[in-house]
Amino acid sequence: MNMSDQINTLPLLEVRDLSVSFNQQEQIAVDRVSLNIPAGRTLGLVGASGAGKSSVGRAILRLVKPDSGKIFFKGKNIYRMNKQEMKATRQRIQLVFQDPSVSLSPRRTVEQTLLEPLQHFAIGDANHQREKIRQIIQTVGLGQSALHRYPHQFSSGQQQRIAIARALVTNPDLLIADEAVSSLDVSIQAQILQLIQMLQKDFGISILFISHDLAVIRQIADDVAVMYQGQLLEQSPADQFFSGPSHPYSKTLLSFAQGKTPVHWSGEKWHLERSRKSTGTPSSCVFSDFCPDKMAMCEKQEPAMHDIPFENQHALGPHCVKCHLYDEVNNNDHQEKVF
Amino acid sequence: MTTPALKVNNLSVWFETGSGRLTVVDRISFSINAGDATGLVGESGCGKTMTAMAILGLLPASGVNVRSDGIELDGRDISTLSLAQRRAILGRDIAMVFQQPATALDPVFTMGQQIGAVYRRHTGGSKQQVRNKMLEALESVGFSQVEDIASSYPHELSGGMRQLAMIAMATVCKPAVIIADEPTTALDNRTRALILEQLKQLQELHQTAVLFISHDLSVVRQICRDVMVMYCGRLLEITDCQSLFANARHPYSAGLLSCIPQISNKRPAPIKSIPGQIPAPADLPSGCHFAPRCTRAEDQCRTSVPELDYANGRGVACFRPL
Repeated sequence: MNMSDQINTLPLLEVRDLSVSFNQQEQIAVDRVSLNIPAGRTLGLVGASGAGKSSVGRAILRLVKPDSGKIFFKGKNIYRMNKQEMKATRQRIQLVFQDPSVSLSPRRTVEQTLLEPLQHFAIGDANHQREKIRQIIQTVGLGQSALHRYPHQFSSGQQQRIAIARALVTNPDLLIADEAVSSLDVSIQAQILQLIQMLQKDFGISILFISHDLAVIRQIADDVAVMYQGQLLEQSPADQFFSGPSHPYSKTLLSFAQGKTPVHWSGEKWHLERSRKSTGTPSSCVFSDFCPDKMAMCEKQEPAMHDIPFENQHALGPHCVKCHLYDEVNNNDHQEKVF
Repeated sequence: MTTPALKVNNLSVWFETGSGRLTVVDRISFSINAGDATGLVGESGCGKTMTAMAILGLLPASGVNVRSDGIELDGRDISTLSLAQRRAILGRDIAMVFQQPATALDPVFTMGQQIGAVYRRHTGGSKQQVRNKMLEALESVGFSQVEDIASSYPHELSGGMRQLAMIAMATVCKPAVIIADEPTTALDNRTRALILEQLKQLQELHQTAVLFISHDLSVVRQICRDVMVMYCGRLLEITDCQSLFANARHPYSAGLLSCIPQISNKRPAPIKSIPGQIPAPADLPSGCHFAPRCTRAEDQCRTSVPELDYANGRGVACFRPL
């Protein structure tokens, strides 16, 4: 992917042509995905279940082995790091999972849970660690008395606060939040979103926010990336995305999120979308079967990733789309039609 | 006047424990007419699922107490039925779509076997008839390759497909009432839209009454005409969705509305939330249960319980409504 001229600084995280598959390469989870997250920004990664969002998050921490691709964290390829370097990197990248009732150990008090990362990474002496834990539990909005209780003694919203505290305790630069608010009630979800907004503002932390819910992503993301069947179809600055996404699939997603059923959409087609089987070199666009704007070319050739010129000069993140509609993006007539 | 498809009178559910009585559903009454969908909304732990289980008589006979002045299904009281009588109506006259199809479905039978079993149990018929009805039910929820789905085991289907298959199971006998307990929670927007769409179509086609349980008002609005807001076992507001979204009268309903993230062109203002959390049934505050979290609460709210007060078809249980 070509990066836009507007970005001069190195992104905090850069994923380049990442592919991940399961079952001896039979099931493609992630297909040549490239994306990047500038420091201090939040990227919302959206897509239906099974689109490969979580696999991207896991690959960044080397929790799954990719088939190919590179991931640069602060300019260093994490797949070339030795054990020690990777350990140091894991301190800088932390993960928050979907369901805190299973991601927190039931046999540890909150204090033990929060202490473990500090001990693992040998951060500070015992006094410093205790102080750090006291601070962090306050940051996430829980009282000191929480430290000596067990996860089951908390509500799901409080448990998610603890999971966030555990991720924050090592002062990470990047937080990967994998559907971190999806299992919560709307009222609790609002509280956790408030907490995340506070972290963005006060700590300047970068977040890869994985979610299927565009409304949640609108609340906290600076940039939006859309995945479908393992491929990244679009990455846009959030304001641009929500005032009119570029890819036909993104448009479909947005209509659903706004509670509208897209006119062209026929419900009965959906069940065909089981997870993708490997078929060698792709010879069509992954979305061509369901695309309302399908052209003859879409079934013959895989589209390339096109950079979209910026209307807004101040935009920071990249803006690109993988669609044949944008093959002649510089042609003004065509652009009129597309937008 | 028509007889409502489902009428619940003064339903209470409570547990007796060593430290006193824990009330989880507190004297609630409502009715749903044929062809109508009513939402039951509230945070987890407020008694929504308990209400559903009590209506269906699925709560265990020991340990939990259920009392009501009658639960009527098309005018017939089902609260006093024997186990055998109840079995005859569950799935045929009133059916439930559970929250987690992954655990509600049996992993060792195919979807076809499970859906067919429901129909055979209530209606009987030849093997071929049962199979046809089963395939018809699968088709009615939007599947096109029904044979393929029928021969699949639950684990072979995605979450959304399982939920649709479960709706097919609940509707195979065309019951008068369906209780759907968070059927779309944890599904992505597109799958959710599809399931709501199918549920709505079936409801209109068969004039089914639907009690739709959810924590998310934005989902309820998509499918229900009326909505009931529940908090700590009590109904705080009963009205139609349109009025609730236009002007919620109970401060709790207004709080729930403000929690819904909105999609807009401009970056939205930071989201609002209701401070605090739902109290445990063991230490419910006296007076209005919502008072400790309510910005409008006064002394009266903390000492006496506001009853549902009906005016112009809307019920609000609040001393200081908006």
